[in-house]
Amino acid sequence: MAKLYAQTAPPMDMNKNTEWFLYPGVWTIYVLILLLSWLLVFSVFGCTPGMAWTLVNLFHFAVTYYFFHWKKGTPFAEDQGIYNNLTWWEQMENGKQLTRNRKFLTVVPVVLYLIASHTTDYQHPMLFLNTIAVAILEVAKFPNMHKVRIFGING
Amino acid sequence: MVRLPYLTALTTLFSYGLLFVFGQLRDFFRKIIDWSKSTSKGLKGYAPICLGLEDFYTRRLYLRIQDCFSRPIASAPDAWIDVVERYSNDNNKTLHRTSNTTKCLNLGSYNYLGFAAADEYCTPRVIESLKKYSSSTCSIRVDGGTTDLHNELEELVARFVGKPAAITFGMGYVTNSAIIPILIGKGGLIISDSLNHNSIVNGARGSGAAVRVFQHNNPSHLEEVLRELIAEGQPRTHRPWKKIIVIVEGIYSMEGELCQLPEIISVCKKYKAYTYLDEAHSIGAVGKTGRGVCELLGVDPADVDIMMGTFTKSFGSCGGYIAASKEIIQYLKYSCPAHLYATSMSPPAVQQVISAIKVILGEDGSSRGAQKLAHIRENSNFFRSELQKMGFEVLGDSDSPVMPIMLYNPAKIPAFSRECLKQNVAIVTVAFPATPLLLARARICISAAHSKEDLIKGLEVISKVGDLVGIKYFPAEPPNHQGQGHKKLE
Repeated sequence: MAKLYAQTAPPMDMNKNTEWFLYPGVWTIYVLILLLSWLLVFSVFGCTPGMAWTLVNLFHFAVTYYFFHWKKGTPFAEDQGIYNNLTWWEQMENGKQLTRNRKFLTVVPVVLYLIASHTTDYQHPMLFLNTIAVAILEVAKFPNMHKVRIFGING
Repeated sequence: MVRLPYLTALTTLFSYGLLFVFGQLRDFFRKIIDWSKSTSKGLKGYAPICLGLEDFYTRRLYLRIQDCFSRPIASAPDAWIDVVERYSNDNNKTLHRTSNTTKCLNLGSYNYLGFAAADEYCTPRVIESLKKYSSSTCSIRVDGGTTDLHNELEELVARFVGKPAAITFGMGYVTNSAIIPILIGKGGLIISDSLNHNSIVNGARGSGAAVRVFQHNNPSHLEEVLRELIAEGQPRTHRPWKKIIVIVEGIYSMEGELCQLPEIISVCKKYKAYTYLDEAHSIGAVGKTGRGVCELLGVDPADVDIMMGTFTKSFGSCGGYIAASKEIIQYLKYSCPAHLYATSMSPPAVQQVISAIKVILGEDGSSRGAQKLAHIRENSNFFRSELQKMGFEVLGDSDSPVMPIMLYNPAKIPAFSRECLKQNVAIVTVAFPATPLLLARARICISAAHSKEDLIKGLEVISKVGDLVGIKYFPAEPPNHQGQGHKKLE
């Protein structure tokens, strides 16, 4: 198999916690992991494909909400805590809004929602759960929500 | 320019994701299982030492491969080194030393000119100075810590580097982090290369000046950044900057690349910014007479405002120096805390540097200095070209004694390190966060003390281990080319 090489200029992000997201291959692996997890859920639980997509959507919501919008700071101590009040989403690309990476990460939950609701034929209760998941995730990713803490939650 | 195979990027991201997931799972179970132990009466009301996930990387990723780092040594770091064997009973959480040592080929120490072990000119003089001045001056420089050795060293360093005056400090890291806050303060601007060493980053943070980075080794981007920032002025008031300093390194220790010094100096002169050159890895190791990257690239030392270097790499000692004009050095002598409050360099260490510089300059009456410099250049070029022929991805420019071999995947870091140690080659591997997440590497430092047989043995072992671990990312040259290459070098 011919080797494909990816070539980029090294990204200038000084924050090691978010710098890895600017390298090539991240979008592909994100989508591949979602597809792989659908396959896993589908084969392990033996449910309908729609139910499997709903489970992937809800699991994706839980994981990304926790790690992107809840947990603050960085997993290492080298930066002496200058990002301790910022979630991963707020640290991304130094707080610059509406970059390509942010747009990609905003589109993915919507696409997952559409796939999950289509394959479950828009039935309750899956539709309700999926809608809540996508609504919360999308609101959290709005540019106006940068550093906003509602009612002191996540402060 | 970062170039990596696409599939490797995907697998590396996936592996780090998997490690992250397992780390979080283990943390989750630890929280549940240790719930009863967590409420201890003695520490009630105190804030936790680690906030949130600060120590996650250390606990869940670094400790798993801890045996590849901090290996204790039991001899001088010559071409061959005695590495102490360690064992662990709890999966690398704690390591215990044994009293056995293994003699390994040393491809990790910064021993560029071979002064790290006993030298026929340096060692007798160092022992004499130890007897005369004892091992410590027990004082700061301004009190009673300036011996005539220190003065001789400062004059010698200034003459060697090509500047009017120099000042020396006891530690290389401190030289950067204590000098930069003295040179520039609030209202100034520091523009540093994006891959600068941690000591420069800390010094810049501690100074209070605004810090911006420019793309690694890219003089046109530096010009862009300078133009934008000079036009904008200070952050809120938009007043002109009080001072602008551009900080670059001679050889970047994680890439092995040389700085594009002539272009960067011309850009800085155009916009009237001061330049600070950190020659930690290049002084004594490159250049025809060992005077560093200025000599190699044909830059007049008078064009660089401040030249910094360390004595740990090529001179086999400890400490750092700053060489600049007489006025700057005079100013540093009465304002730098590393000079006013830190103990002066140990006299035998000073004598080691003096003797090493004399050998390099040829003032000891022999041509060993020139031989060492030629030797390290040949060794580096030979090793690098052979590695590239075998198909490894090796970074760095030719003539640079530092060569990182790219590993990428996190699992290959301990695999490469442990397999090489089994075959008696001591290699240093570097991972996140010293390097970017995807770009883990094994860094090789070539020395003038390595003989051709040592290098060939190193190449054999690295080739075998490279096949085992799977890091030959580029196509290897066919064997008949290799045969021709060997013949030419003989």
